[in-house]
Amino acid sequence: MSFLVATIAAAGRHTASAPLARRPAAAAAWLLLAAPAFGAGAEAPAADIPRTADGKPDFSGIWESMSGADYDLEPHAGREDAPPGRGVVHGDFIPYQPWALEQRRKNFEARATADRTRLQCLTLGVPRSVYYPAPLQIFQRPRDLTIVNPFGAVRTIHTNGTSHPEGPFGFWLGDSRGHWEGDTLVVDVVDFNDETWLDRAGNFHSDALHVVERWTLLDANTIRYEATLEDSKVYTRPWTLSVILYRHREENFQLIENYCYTHAYDEHYPFEGADRLPPAESDVAREREVNEP
Amino acid sequence: MKRPALPRAGTVRRIAAALTLLLPAAAGHADDRWETEVIRVPRGEWTGPRLPDGQPDVQGFWSNTIGNHDNFTDPQGGIPGDVARAGGGGARDIGTVQPREKRAPSRVSDPPDGQVPFQPWARAKQEELLANFFHPTKEEHIEPLARCAPAGPTKSLMWHGYEIRQYPGYVLFLFDSGTRIIHLDGKPHLPASIKLWNADSRGRWEGNTLIVDVRNNNAKARLGRTGEFTSDNVHIEERYIFANDGQRYTYEAVYTDPTVLTRPFTVTIPAKRITVDSPRDGWHNQTFLANHPRPEPILETYERVCVEHNAGHGELAVAGGPP
Repeated sequence: MSFLVATIAAAGRHTASAPLARRPAAAAAWLLLAAPAFGAGAEAPAADIPRTADGKPDFSGIWESMSGADYDLEPHAGREDAPPGRGVVHGDFIPYQPWALEQRRKNFEARATADRTRLQCLTLGVPRSVYYPAPLQIFQRPRDLTIVNPFGAVRTIHTNGTSHPEGPFGFWLGDSRGHWEGDTLVVDVVDFNDETWLDRAGNFHSDALHVVERWTLLDANTIRYEATLEDSKVYTRPWTLSVILYRHREENFQLIENYCYTHAYDEHYPFEGADRLPPAESDVAREREVNEP
Repeated sequence: MKRPALPRAGTVRRIAAALTLLLPAAAGHADDRWETEVIRVPRGEWTGPRLPDGQPDVQGFWSNTIGNHDNFTDPQGGIPGDVARAGGGGARDIGTVQPREKRAPSRVSDPPDGQVPFQPWARAKQEELLANFFHPTKEEHIEPLARCAPAGPTKSLMWHGYEIRQYPGYVLFLFDSGTRIIHLDGKPHLPASIKLWNADSRGRWEGNTLIVDVRNNNAKARLGRTGEFTSDNVHIEERYIFANDGQRYTYEAVYTDPTVLTRPFTVTIPAKRITVDSPRDGWHNQTFLANHPRPEPILETYERVCVEHNAGHGELAVAGGPP
């Protein structure tokens, strides 16, 4: 088996410059071989994936993780506020510095109220906005990828050869600059603030966070997402998590804005009592159309 | 990666937001950020560049040319009742230093009187919201954009510069406060029971014009600090009419709302492109030069996150706060 893995890995590198999508028969053969051979951490070969006009993997679409990572990145049994989870951290546990492990414990104790950015529907940060359990939409051009995130925050991953701006700015989502390594989009993300958590269990980072993401299409409807987190103030060494994102394919599925931070004052607009105004006849007719086909 | 210490991001953002809001006052009497003439682009063919999917390529940074959302029907007239700022030199004082005929006309281009054709009860409500703008006594008196709420389909075009990005099947508007995803994919509107701040938009191109059908509006966003509003029964038909040289476009939107209006009205907002040469005023032009070694300048923007949401900003709407 080890020989097979090595062979496929070598072939995967080779085919990066000659996409398998253009050789469907070969792609199918590789898929058959690859399925049992590639575990977490291995580089997957390109299958029959969508591509943009310039030949890059096309990540356009609406995606969502089913990993449960947002409950707790580390392995955990079920508890009152989280279903059980195997965890998504390579090596299972985040290598915290001693003070940070204690801080994480405090965060965990206070999690019902202290996970501010989620509870107030602010901005989730990176990588949390990727595996948070809500749909995100990716729009792709040669110069950038735009991710419209849960709660409405918009992230741009620049792929036009530009570098990080001179900071620090303390961005919520960091500053993202990507490049292609074969069919994998590698994104360097820096210049964060320290206000976001990594999950609901109190895992956290500081403003020294540096994230390297690897986005790879496993097939037309599946993204393998890997993020390596480095933070000299909080961790003893860089560590990596990975999740799978699935494409939403439901009929007429679309991203629906969820500016849920407005819920706190929604009821006051447009003004008190406005909800008692009569519905438009057109709305009633459309509702009937939808409900009584 | 070792990075220098910085103030808490919330503080930074709060200061930045306050400065941004203060900019009109800082601009002084000779406010050359605004034009008084409404330049209208005629509808017609598109002869400019196209994207691979055939859409006219209108991507880039844009901003309106006649005023912010202080006053919907008198874009350079300031907020009526702005006693605290009279003589202070801000945009709101244009109303005190320039006669009406020298200011930009109403954004309401039809009916001809430039006023929103409100039913009497709705006019009374708008006047109440305006009368309490500086001294709110009820939650509803606080203009929701002051709480970082999305500005809604039309007012987003009067609030800072913004960016248009285009994709097969979509036109994306990235605003200072909120995002609009306009579907060109022929899919149906959402069920009418779903009402949204930025509504639900279905568009198509005809020549140089992007025509957008806008429904599912929760109508919580207003049309200006002057309190004009609609009900969530509103239907908006928008036309974004782009000049073939790519430098201007005209927004025309027909509002139909039998709950609030006596007849439909039309909004007209002129806009122009923000380029590398545009003044870096932090209002129209919120771009930065990208960091790269090649000679050509590349414009980009940084994340726009209105952090405080329901704190801080709300206070800015009360008397004594910045505009």
